[in-house]
Amino acid sequence: MYESAMIRTAKKLASLRLTLVGMLMLAVLAVLGVRSDAVSIDMTTIPLVLLAMNLVAALMTNRTLRTQAGLLVFHVGLLMVFGLIGLSVLTRFDGHVEVAQGAGFEPAAVTTTANGWLHDNRLDGIEFYQSDIRVDYLPRLVRQETRSTVEYRGADGAMHRATIGDKVGFEVDGYRFLATFNKGFALLLHWQDDTGAEAIGAVNFLSFPRHDWNQVTTWTTPAGQEVELEIDFDEPYFNDDSAWTLKATDVPYRVNVTPTDRATVAVREGDAVRVDGGTLRVADLRLWMGYRIDYLPFLPWMLVAAMLAIAGLAIHFASRYLPGAATARTLTDAEGGAHAARA
Amino acid sequence: MQPALERELIVSGVVLLALATLVEVTALVRRRPSFVVTAACFAGATGFFLAAIVGRWVRESQGPFLTLYDILLSNGFSLALLLLLITSLSAPVRATLLVASPLLLMMGIWLLDAPATAVPLPATFDNYWLWAHVVSGKIFLGFCLAATGIAVAMLLRGLIKAPRASYLVPEPERAEQALWALFFIAFICHSFMLVAGSVWAHSAWGKYWSWDPLETWTLVTWLILGGVLHARVAFKKMPAGLGHALVVAAFAVAFLTFFGVPFFSIAPHKGLM
Repeated sequence: MYESAMIRTAKKLASLRLTLVGMLMLAVLAVLGVRSDAVSIDMTTIPLVLLAMNLVAALMTNRTLRTQAGLLVFHVGLLMVFGLIGLSVLTRFDGHVEVAQGAGFEPAAVTTTANGWLHDNRLDGIEFYQSDIRVDYLPRLVRQETRSTVEYRGADGAMHRATIGDKVGFEVDGYRFLATFNKGFALLLHWQDDTGAEAIGAVNFLSFPRHDWNQVTTWTTPAGQEVELEIDFDEPYFNDDSAWTLKATDVPYRVNVTPTDRATVAVREGDAVRVDGGTLRVADLRLWMGYRIDYLPFLPWMLVAAMLAIAGLAIHFASRYLPGAATARTLTDAEGGAHAARA
Repeated sequence: MQPALERELIVSGVVLLALATLVEVTALVRRRPSFVVTAACFAGATGFFLAAIVGRWVRESQGPFLTLYDILLSNGFSLALLLLLITSLSAPVRATLLVASPLLLMMGIWLLDAPATAVPLPATFDNYWLWAHVVSGKIFLGFCLAATGIAVAMLLRGLIKAPRASYLVPEPERAEQALWALFFIAFICHSFMLVAGSVWAHSAWGKYWSWDPLETWTLVTWLILGGVLHARVAFKKMPAGLGHALVVAAFAVAFLTFFGVPFFSIAPHKGLM
């Protein structure tokens, strides 16, 4: 019987032994990619592509695979998972951002950690403002519930409120914002230069309470002078022996301001300190919240495809191992044999 | 429940598993059926471990999900229960108890040595997908152990003399069929565990897959399980013993993934502050 070169190639590519080679390669590269700096985890793409091609070829040429419903459903589901992983990698976005209370989300402040080649970045169109932040703790810094309230502009143009929790994200235009364990204090500073020009902005301190012993940061004034800022509470912010809540605080504090090569000046809220080129006034102490941002439009479909594959396995198990399956399989084999004889 | 009582319950369960091991070995030497006694020991161990889990759960206000102690205790319970159910329902599978009893005994002794201090479950971890992930993982391990026990018994059968070999696996063809059926169920459960784990991870720490050591070794285990099933079809003339050895190897990797990898890394599965 005549077989085209394509079919002959597909039959070779459909080899089960090639499947085993692909699986072995994937396992080895996954372990090496995680454990060794010399091998990138991206190398797992090679066996994944090989396995996908092997699977497509098998579906084209392997009659057993096509005629046994369970096997067919499983392998089609698996192929869909492969395809959707590929699409997700191409279209995904992953990043993080810190937003201070009272401030708006700034797309320019987003740190991008993954950006797919086909990702159409629409972060510029997202508008929300950070409102109240509350994070509950048990003794020994055991974090409990996070409640981060944001105000956002809905499709109707009106402002709405949403509370982002540990299990509830905030989704806008396909982008999911998740509250992270990363949050801390933000010092609202008012700057006035020698010409009288004013500016106000927030300086975020290190994550709290993770770095509660080191609430120090450096900041460069609009006039170009570097200053070290340290938050110094008059009394401990929390008692580690009892439950407490991280929230906008009324605990009295002072800010130790140390311009480069100058002595430290301690200022209270509302007080100002003279630095090169202008005056710095401590306006308020607020909180900032760290958000993780992801964009994975194909994720729900990946779950559907994966569940379809598992359903295929269950069907195959039922047809092969449950009572009555042996008889049914014998009949199917006989029909297959007759079909092959006619061909 | 006080920790001292919890420990007494666990010790009682471990003693019963030691008795089950002794009964299984003695039965093989004397070639006398032992299933009722072994099953009673397993039922008792299951009950003691369940009581310890419930007491600990009430005291700590959280399930046994995080620490090595929690994982060993909950798996001691689930494996004993699953093996009891599987062997009660299918006689050809009972040879697996010769292997499962000492393995569960070893896990019980390990449990007695593990630090019992509870680690609070991070708030983001607690959702329905965690349950789906954990339960499917435990069912996977139970079925995989049952298949492995038969595989080891079949391998031993080829090594020992005829009368005892016949006692060990009286119906080799049915045992062989049961072995692969159990292994296939294990593969299905592992697949579901992997998917449920991804959904849970996406909710718990924001990424459905992050190549952490536990995720990576779970994928490797899945590939090995799938590879063993494919190898049976790809190499039809493969000696049965090699197939059994592959099943044992797959279980060994799964066991190390369950009880080794999470506790030698600072993977996200242990949570973040």
